[in-house]
Amino acid sequence: MRKAETAVAALLTLFALGMIREATKLSVGWTGIGPGSGFFPFWLSVGVAVTGMIILTQSLRAPRRVEDSEPFIPQRAWKPLLIVLLPMVTVIALMKWLGIYIGGGLYLAGYMRLVGRFRWPMVALISVLIPVVLFFIFEKWFLLPLPKGSLLETLLYGR
Amino acid sequence: MSVFNDLLFGLSVALTPTNMVIAVVGLILGTAIGVLPGLGGTNGVALLLPLTFTLQPTSAIILLASVYWGAIFGGAITSILFNIPGEPWSVATTFDGYPLAKQGKPGLALTAAFTSSFIGALVAIVLFTFFAPPLAELALKFGPPENFAVLLLAFSTFTGLGGGKPSKTILMTLLGLLLSTVGFDIITGSPRMNFGLVPLQSGINFIVIAIGLFGLGEIFLTVEEGLRLEGVKGRISFRDLLETWKMFPSYLVTIIRSAIMGFWIGVLPGTGATPASFMSYGLAKQFSKHPERFGKGEVEGVVAPETAAHAAGIGALLPMLTLGIPGSPTAAVMLAGFFIWGLNPGPLLFATNRDFVWGLIGSMYVANVIGVILVLTLVPAFAAINRVPFSILAPLIVIMSSIGAYATNNQILDLWLMLGSGVVGYIFKKLNYPLAPLVVALVLGDMTEQALRQSLIMFQGNPAVFLQRPITILFLAATALLFALPAIREYGNRRRQARTPQPDAA
Repeated sequence: MRKAETAVAALLTLFALGMIREATKLSVGWTGIGPGSGFFPFWLSVGVAVTGMIILTQSLRAPRRVEDSEPFIPQRAWKPLLIVLLPMVTVIALMKWLGIYIGGGLYLAGYMRLVGRFRWPMVALISVLIPVVLFFIFEKWFLLPLPKGSLLETLLYGR
Repeated sequence: MSVFNDLLFGLSVALTPTNMVIAVVGLILGTAIGVLPGLGGTNGVALLLPLTFTLQPTSAIILLASVYWGAIFGGAITSILFNIPGEPWSVATTFDGYPLAKQGKPGLALTAAFTSSFIGALVAIVLFTFFAPPLAELALKFGPPENFAVLLLAFSTFTGLGGGKPSKTILMTLLGLLLSTVGFDIITGSPRMNFGLVPLQSGINFIVIAIGLFGLGEIFLTVEEGLRLEGVKGRISFRDLLETWKMFPSYLVTIIRSAIMGFWIGVLPGTGATPASFMSYGLAKQFSKHPERFGKGEVEGVVAPETAAHAAGIGALLPMLTLGIPGSPTAAVMLAGFFIWGLNPGPLLFATNRDFVWGLIGSMYVANVIGVILVLTLVPAFAAINRVPFSILAPLIVIMSSIGAYATNNQILDLWLMLGSGVVGYIFKKLNYPLAPLVVALVLGDMTEQALRQSLIMFQGNPAVFLQRPITILFLAATALLFALPAIREYGNRRRQARTPQPDAA
């Protein structure tokens, strides 16, 4: 827990330093037409860097407590977290081909099977039904073009 | 009395069949969102935002506001029946609501919650109706220096009243403002702060960040904790209604106090429905003749937080509509909608978009009347939503979040941004970095920069301009006080500890 606190404060400070660098590429001070483009971001990133360093020193100097040694993510939580996260990364990476309807359906099916331990017929029913309903809501009623993916485009329109 | 004319006009807008249907749909969706843990008002509104792109702005805001009211009503259902707050502002409702349900009186607790929520909303809407026009009129006289001072005041409420660690709150506020500068300079239009990356040139999409932080972050937390639901079955009979309503006159003082207090707490951006509900619960206990009954199933312990929470929800929209400053993260998401619908938030709306402003106010009356009837009659249906297994719900929320994030800008890159903010939101939440100031600052960043730079341009870079105008001085003094408040409180605590010899008692 404590390591995470220190690491996050350090990362925020580093990020702010990067932003300071980015801001100083612009005019930070007064220009002919008022404060330059970099003026506002520069002082904000200075502020973030300073508060980040304050939190960093606070966490380094704080007296040690029992709960500090607890891991940031409890051991038993890793598996359920990764089951949510990794398939999400995979589906987003394949979004161009799978699209949100097929990709979302597969994600739903996988999660239902792995975590919910549903029987296959139920998995198939729900994970087909929901994307179809969503398709009609967004594509047909609200006319919002969502990524259909090359797979669905081929299936639907033969493109 | 032009307010009455305006209000009648607003009611006529809200009562058109289309807008009534939209309000009902919004309320049902909102109540469902409120019932589901892991899906809150903020991300509920964010997820539905893309659906409003094709609607008229007035209908769009009525839909989102109805979702918000529904979520406030719905939060009470799980608190009372499952002892799991569906929303943070209904935590205080569990204290007495769940014991009541366990004693075999779930109908009574639910009726008390919905009725007081409704009355709290009504009092707050009346306050809203009469305070909004003069506030907007005052705000119309504001120049850039006044605007900047008001924005600073809004940010300071997070530090002064938000209750988190001051250093973290300030950092999150600054970070939100800083992220809003990425993309291009709002005054000159030239690209900046994008690290040479083309996709960043259009700026960081606020909706995507909000969905990631609140939607996915919450899912990760729920998954980590492992969710178990065990509930009491709830149904409201006609006898429950009569029995509960007979008790209400004796709670009149509590209700009026909670409603007025809740409204004003809700107006401040740094606070909101959650602290309002806790404060109201505490006060009701303090003023009660039987404080020992609280926590064991006292009806007043349900009435007080519910009244305040709903009043605060209404209050949060007051600065959003009159000043363009959201009073809560949910209001911040709605405000982001204003830009998408082509509206310019701020006091001018009262003059230029009368149907939008008064349609929203009118719909507050209409939607809350419909809302209370809906929840009173449909409690069993809404409670049943919680029987949907989490293993279906979680991926469904993930899919809805992705649709919401994608639809605002139509780019797959935003899905990565959403995923990233989800992970960051999870980490921030675990380390007690408050998310609300980040989100509100991100949406107000452009306005803040513009106000500051314009003020400096107006007075050739002389910062003394802020100290020469009476309204700005007033706002800046309040800002300074709020920023100093945590330190003052700390000092007070230390003195009290020094005086009392046994620190264990504190």
